[in-house]
Amino acid sequence: MATDLTPTANVATMTIVVYFEDAAIGELARDRIRTLASKHPSRVILFDATADSERREEGPDWIEIGVKSAQPVALSSALAELRVREVPVVLLWIAPGIGDDERFCALAPDAQTIVYNSSLVHEGDEALRELVDYVARHPELALADIAYLRLAPWQESVAILFDGSDVAELSRLQRVEVTCGSEPEAFYLLGWLASRLNWSPGDPNTVRDRSGNPVEYAITREGEPRRIRRVALRSSNATFVAEVDRNGETIALRVENGGSHPQRNRAIEDPGIAALVERAILAGHHDRIFAESLAAAGGILSRRKEQP
Amino acid sequence: MPDEAVTVTAAPSVDGAVNPLREGLASQGVANPCTAVFFGASGDLFKRMLLPAVYSMKLRGTLPTDFALVGFARSKYTDDTFRDYCKEQLDQFMPDGKKPQGALWDDFSKRISYMSADFSDKRHFVALKDRLAQNDEQFGTAGNHLFYLATPPPVFPEIIKHLKEAGLDKNDKGWTRIVVEKPFGTDLQSARALQQSIEAVFPESEIYRIDHYLGKEPVQDIIALRFANTIFEPIWNRNYVQNVQITSAESLGVEERGGYYESAGALRDMIQNHVINLLALVAMEPPISAHADDIRNEKYKVLSAIAPPAYADVWSVSARGQYGPGTIDSKPVIGYRQEQDVSPSSNTDTFAAVKLYVENWRWAGVPFYLRSGKRLPRKVAEIAVTFRPIPHRFYGESTDKIEPNVLVIKIEPDEGISLRFEAKVPGPKEHIRSVFMDFSYGTGFGVVSPPAYERLIGDAIAGDQTLFTRWDAVERAWEIVTPVLDVWHNTKDFSFPNYAAGSQGPQSANDLFGEWRRI
Repeated sequence: MATDLTPTANVATMTIVVYFEDAAIGELARDRIRTLASKHPSRVILFDATADSERREEGPDWIEIGVKSAQPVALSSALAELRVREVPVVLLWIAPGIGDDERFCALAPDAQTIVYNSSLVHEGDEALRELVDYVARHPELALADIAYLRLAPWQESVAILFDGSDVAELSRLQRVEVTCGSEPEAFYLLGWLASRLNWSPGDPNTVRDRSGNPVEYAITREGEPRRIRRVALRSSNATFVAEVDRNGETIALRVENGGSHPQRNRAIEDPGIAALVERAILAGHHDRIFAESLAAAGGILSRRKEQP
Repeated sequence: MPDEAVTVTAAPSVDGAVNPLREGLASQGVANPCTAVFFGASGDLFKRMLLPAVYSMKLRGTLPTDFALVGFARSKYTDDTFRDYCKEQLDQFMPDGKKPQGALWDDFSKRISYMSADFSDKRHFVALKDRLAQNDEQFGTAGNHLFYLATPPPVFPEIIKHLKEAGLDKNDKGWTRIVVEKPFGTDLQSARALQQSIEAVFPESEIYRIDHYLGKEPVQDIIALRFANTIFEPIWNRNYVQNVQITSAESLGVEERGGYYESAGALRDMIQNHVINLLALVAMEPPISAHADDIRNEKYKVLSAIAPPAYADVWSVSARGQYGPGTIDSKPVIGYRQEQDVSPSSNTDTFAAVKLYVENWRWAGVPFYLRSGKRLPRKVAEIAVTFRPIPHRFYGESTDKIEPNVLVIKIEPDEGISLRFEAKVPGPKEHIRSVFMDFSYGTGFGVVSPPAYERLIGDAIAGDQTLFTRWDAVERAWEIVTPVLDVWHNTKDFSFPNYAAGSQGPQSANDLFGEWRRI
């Protein structure tokens, strides 16, 4: 084969390693990572655990390897061989189980950022519980969770509800309701509120505010997985509601029975997986608020476990 | 690209309490409810740039949720007809063709109102005060007021005076800020007069002098290139740099701006503000922090180190031109004097070039060549840093010319950086050839930056003055160009036009410097 002498200048900002165990998820991941790599030129290494196959390359920066039967050490060895040395490694782990997974343990030490998605495989709280345990054992890991990053517009919306004089209502909250298609997002939102407002875990379905007063919470599973539909926070004076509007276009913010604002509408801002992974890479692992929210969510989940 | 992870300070409530839920949120400007008043809201700038920027912020979620917009201009509109007007303009001018529709538009439009007003009538400003109080009540805008002067500059002092007289220069509930569009004066004297009229009413911390050029992403990248890398700083000085060329060229003519341009010209319109600002960013010392005043202090130091040319030397350090008929993109175009609203005997400069020196330890003796012009072959904005030649040539037998290294910071149209260096041509002979290493932000990050106005309006709402020009820098920039303006003004015979549209500019510029990069 003739050598291509066309001068080229490659730019690589990272090596993205993707591991998946489900063919459909793998297809989705390919599509999203191509989008991401078009924005941040990267070398992409896909470990496809649905098949055993030889290394397949599309150009120098897109490499796929079937690793269904491969030993964990084969994965870390391939990564060592194929990564671009001067730039960071980002591990996108799209599979259930990280804590005891030997393959994850083989790849994680080489990654500067690990991107996990606790609501992709399970819509319940299993993956989030596992993540809480794992992070508690490995606090040094730079890890981001897509399920948490997806909360950003809801965090903004809830925060806006308490701007101005309504901030005083935060210390009078009595009940929080979250309607969501899967549980990790709901527990992250509770964990975020708990970490910001110094709430501590209470009885099942209850947290304690900084004065020790109970704040009930209720999670309703409804709608599409990984999408929040409504958050309502009831204080002794009013109920603060952020809710997807009827047309699904905006988040409508309103205060029922009080408050000083008219209804407002904000863009829902559903950035898609590629952009969320990008956020995870750019900022996620520096996010102290995430770490505190995760820990608080873990505390709330631990009490939930005690339910009969 | 997702929202930048900009941590905003938690928003204090009216009584000073802080919203703990705000901590760490990746939002820019969302924490500042406000009413923005656009003076000149029926004008071109508002409909083409400002309104689309504000609505884009609404779509991105970066506009305060508690926001209201008041249009204030002479044209006759009611609130309803002005909303219809805004919708029509957004239909036409929104980037990417995004249409105003649905719940977001409904939410935005109900916050729009209009005051048909005479800028010289104080009563209309008193009425504005009532409207703002009403907005604060109705839309929760917390007494924060942003006044945006998008009118022709001669009206600025009158508006400012009436704002003061109506008691709109400050309020007890929230902040008051004023955004002043460029040009800030037409010469040193008028700039000082304008400044006097503004500073009599508003403190510097509330004045946002907008130069949309500074809101462009690549301009901000200059700071990152210089101060987020270690490899450039050791050679970024007189020991290694031979000259710096800053170019802002356009292939367009004056379009519909002939009337304005007749009294401006290229030196006033581009060099005094945009191009000198680029020079300051390239030449400044590392700021001690990214805080607005730390950066603006360093920029000012650079400008104060530039000696304005002596009057006797003006013709040896400047070149002036005006385009005549020519060809752009293989199509014939008319000359400047044939443009709409331009005098057939106009002596206005459509091309200006000056050579300046930054007389400090780092840059002494290094010429900075600045040029800007219309109807040049293509649109280019760039900064080219040419390094000194190699000190010793040991390729004795080779006759190849060894070119100096050039680092080009490309601002428009393809934002990026390129480095020219010398490499050996493969083969038994020692042939040397220049090669270019190119980095494009577009392919490097694949990111479309928000338009400059969107960034700058967001910064003004958030109270970040970093990208706005401080008065001392504006004044110094006028001082630098004043001798050139004066000498040019007092010279009557320029034999204009002196360059053909589509050419590289007047011969006098090439004769003067001889080292220009080709456009």
